[in-house]
Amino acid sequence: MFKISEMPLLRSLFIFSGILLLAALSAYLLAPLLIPIILSFALYALFDPISNLLQRNGINDSLSAILVLILLVVICVLGISIVFPMLAEQLLLLQAKIPKLWIFLSEFSIRIQNLLNSYGVEFDPNAITKPVMSASSEWGKDAVIRLSNMLINMTTTVILVPLFTFFLIRDYKHLRNRALDLLPNKSFELGWLIYYRVAKKLEIYIRGIILQSGIMAIVTSLGFYFFGLESPILLGTIAGLLNLIPYVGPLLAMIPPVIIALGAPVFDPMLIVAAISVIIAAQLIDNIIVVPALIANAVNLHPITVIVGIIIFGNFFGFIGMIVAIPALATSNIILTGLRNGLKKDLLT
Amino acid sequence: MDNMNNHPFWNNIFRHKDNAVTTVCRLWSDTPLFSDIPKRYILRLVKNMHPRFYKKDDIVFNTGDIGAGAVLIKSGEIEIRAGETVLARLIAGDFFGEVALVVDEPRTADAVASTDCELVFFLRPDLEEWVHSTPKQGAQLLANISRVLAGRLRHANNMLSAQKD
Repeated sequence: MFKISEMPLLRSLFIFSGILLLAALSAYLLAPLLIPIILSFALYALFDPISNLLQRNGINDSLSAILVLILLVVICVLGISIVFPMLAEQLLLLQAKIPKLWIFLSEFSIRIQNLLNSYGVEFDPNAITKPVMSASSEWGKDAVIRLSNMLINMTTTVILVPLFTFFLIRDYKHLRNRALDLLPNKSFELGWLIYYRVAKKLEIYIRGIILQSGIMAIVTSLGFYFFGLESPILLGTIAGLLNLIPYVGPLLAMIPPVIIALGAPVFDPMLIVAAISVIIAAQLIDNIIVVPALIANAVNLHPITVIVGIIIFGNFFGFIGMIVAIPALATSNIILTGLRNGLKKDLLT
Repeated sequence: MDNMNNHPFWNNIFRHKDNAVTTVCRLWSDTPLFSDIPKRYILRLVKNMHPRFYKKDDIVFNTGDIGAGAVLIKSGEIEIRAGETVLARLIAGDFFGEVALVVDEPRTADAVASTDCELVFFLRPDLEEWVHSTPKQGAQLLANISRVLAGRLRHANNMLSAQKD
């Protein structure tokens, strides 16, 4: 007779599906707050060591959480008052340049078409450029509205995130203990072990990738500034954010600086080479120095799994999906392996 | 109704943790694991530990389980068994399973509740978080764990030698 309790793989898949369903339901119910919650957890991973450091020096849990909150508020205020206006200004400058940029790209594609036609190759660049151009010009027209909407959302996020982070730093361990203590006696230790493995991996990965992204943003901003590219901070910030997406991100990061270089007042091929070189140099620094020091093998996933995961998550959940693809896959992998090993043992004893 | 009140599942959820903290702190501080560690540090750690209730004949863990931490007996009695052989009978104040605090190895014996028990789990995440927040006391605790494990090894060697003779 077929019994699911005697099949560890099927049983672990069954439990895993339940966990997945619960996670999906929670994500659905918390949809409006999902981004502030994800950001708060990321900041918690980043700031928890500071809280630990304060506690090590005799400061109690609540006071250390308040001090971390003050630090966060200071960072947010500085971000809003200095970085946001700078980014907004560079974004508006970019928006003003978009029509000129597309004219240049049209001319450039016609030149390529003529060149290819002279060799007898049929090529219609309009098939590629027209949809992109129309979508981009629409985006360009709406940029100011989008920017203001983005700023409203960001303001809400900026208020909620420090608040959530404060409560996470103060109460997360307590709430986690209460939740995991609800496990039945039989699966109590297994549940804790799986949590412990997931938490350790995610902590290293999230902390590493945030620092890595920040370093990439600074390095590329400085590089773009050095070579005289316009809007260097905006381009560096975009490169830093795209660096959150493994493998695919660095390739996407090359597109904005190359477009800006193409739209320079005087066409300079060396500027395009410089823009690409900055991204490649930043990637070299990233792979040789930053990744080994900060992330190492935090998530042992096969590159194909990573790329397929990014594409699927990106397709369903957009940019945020591409960023959370790796931690989500790594978490699923640990939970499934832990459940399967734990349940396999149940049948042996 | 009375049966429901005494069920481990409900006891694990609706327990009176605060009253337990000072008792558990005293019990742990009397063990060699926490020798030379001031009580206020132990108290902070104990607040994050995990009390669990077991009925008579409940299995705490089996040989081959991957352990997550050490277990202190707050009340009741636990039998440590290897197959049908009872290796030890432990009572309130005793602890077991401390190997799991330092390594990800399978449990080497069964632990079964021979009476209704209240146990307190001290898990590896608790130890790691505590070591991060109080490194000096953490180092002392790790040294104590080493001493306890060395003592257990010496005891096992003596038993093996006695069996050979």
